[in-house]
Amino acid sequence: MTFPLYAHGLFGTYAGLLVGTLVGVAFGFVLERAGFGRARNLAAQFYLTDLRVLKVMFSAIVTALVGMTFLSGIGVLDLALITVPETFLWPQLVGGLLLGAGFIVSGYCPGTGVVAIASGNLDGVAAIGGVMLGSLAFGFGYGPLEGFYKSSAMGAVRIDQLLGVPIAVVAAAVVAMAVGAFLGGEKLEAIFAPRAGALVPASPARVKARVFGGFAAVAALALVALALPTRGAATPARAAKTIGPLELAREVVMAPETLWIVDLRPGAAAAKERIPGAMVPPATDEQAAFAAGLAPTRRLVAYGASGAAVLPDGVRKFLGDVYVLEGGFEGWTSAVLTAPVPPVNPTPDLVARFQLASALHARFTGAAAAAPVEIRPVANVPTGPRKGGGC
Amino acid sequence: MSKRPFWNPYVAGVVLGLVLLASFLVMGFGLGSSGAVTRFAVAGAHLVAPRAVETNAYFSQYFGSGKHVLEDWLVFEVLGVFLGGVLGAYSAGRLKLGIEKGPRATTAQRLALAVAGGVLMGFAARLARGCTSGQALTGGAALSLGSWVFMMAVFTGGYLVAPLVRREWR
Repeated sequence: MTFPLYAHGLFGTYAGLLVGTLVGVAFGFVLERAGFGRARNLAAQFYLTDLRVLKVMFSAIVTALVGMTFLSGIGVLDLALITVPETFLWPQLVGGLLLGAGFIVSGYCPGTGVVAIASGNLDGVAAIGGVMLGSLAFGFGYGPLEGFYKSSAMGAVRIDQLLGVPIAVVAAAVVAMAVGAFLGGEKLEAIFAPRAGALVPASPARVKARVFGGFAAVAALALVALALPTRGAATPARAAKTIGPLELAREVVMAPETLWIVDLRPGAAAAKERIPGAMVPPATDEQAAFAAGLAPTRRLVAYGASGAAVLPDGVRKFLGDVYVLEGGFEGWTSAVLTAPVPPVNPTPDLVARFQLASALHARFTGAAAAAPVEIRPVANVPTGPRKGGGC
Repeated sequence: MSKRPFWNPYVAGVVLGLVLLASFLVMGFGLGSSGAVTRFAVAGAHLVAPRAVETNAYFSQYFGSGKHVLEDWLVFEVLGVFLGGVLGAYSAGRLKLGIEKGPRATTAQRLALAVAGGVLMGFAARLARGCTSGQALTGGAALSLGSWVFMMAVFTGGYLVAPLVRREWR
């Protein structure tokens, strides 16, 4: 499997950020060309005079979906490595209703608001300023909201998996649905645009024939690819992510109720010393079958003696996110159970890291806090965070 | 420079979909925006009241990793969106100061409503863990159940409220 490329470890942090910027430039350019830097083009969607939002959004979803489906069908893309946003049914339903209301009142959504600012539209500045205030309001009002925010957690649920059908079938259904919505939408435009004294948006039949035909062709190829013998069947159902020892230690202290920790070392080692709260599979349960039945609302962290252990079946069948502890118990011992060394050349980052490491070390070993960091004048302390930037 | 027309929406959608597909193929995840806008807000609030932000139960997730709150993929992606937007508007001859509103709305009304709608969206995007980019578009293409529910809810919310703010646009 060639894609996704990141799985080959090609991108360090900075290469990743560069890719992000380039992807963003393309995203922003297309949104501008789609007319989404202008609130009236977006608002027209909700008065049925110009269904540009529906057309652009669904064409984009269909393109990416049939593209991924086809590429995975011919064995070039490992779909299991594609991030699927987690489902929290009720918060997403309510959040969607509120966001839709905010969309028509402000005239932009957060992404198009940024493009509006880039095009010089001051109402975009106001909208994005509002989004910032709203985000802060959510954070500062988080206490009473937390329960609802975390409710109805279903983990990463893909519709094709939920229905138990191949993704190519769902992709083909989405193509049919989208084309139906496009043709229906154009009928609505023909009714509502003249009533509002606007021109019915032009929609050349040739472009439609090509775009819709392209969708149907790729979706059909993806369906045909179902008949191909499956390749790379050895890849695990879902790739486990990794978590560093310090990060895990922090979570164990701050949010133990969000974790399942499973100790995969042979019984004797696990009996002697474990990460606090870790579960040890009984000797009779080599495949850790109990793990498959744990509630998928939490993250499951598995660790072996060192490095990434081969995950037993039970862990791989766990429905939520699976993490493997980097370095296994050895990594935990050296990062958390061993006293950290103060940085020789303290930069703010290193000091912060040291503070965290020594606080966690003290917490997990009962040792007194480590010696203080020797502070010397530092030449280039980074100035405060850049403010605003694009927004 | 004469203005270039907007692209045919189906063509724009296909190109947008190819950008999204490229992001999936390279990084394994898609696009987003509200997350980055939140990070800018948090960084700004942190300048004013560092302790209040760091100890906040929700915002604390942005601190303590040793990385600055703005050192994040999504932040760079959204800076890219801004650059791409400038590039698009400039090359099309559309880069100029203005305010988008209907003929019957005053400037003050329009700006106040833009802020109010923005506040609602900022709150909603955090509650739903994403906005039209991160949830509807990206999660939609990844066939996430919650993202499809979110997308349908966005259209429903928009259509329900649109008659109330008709004066702003028509």
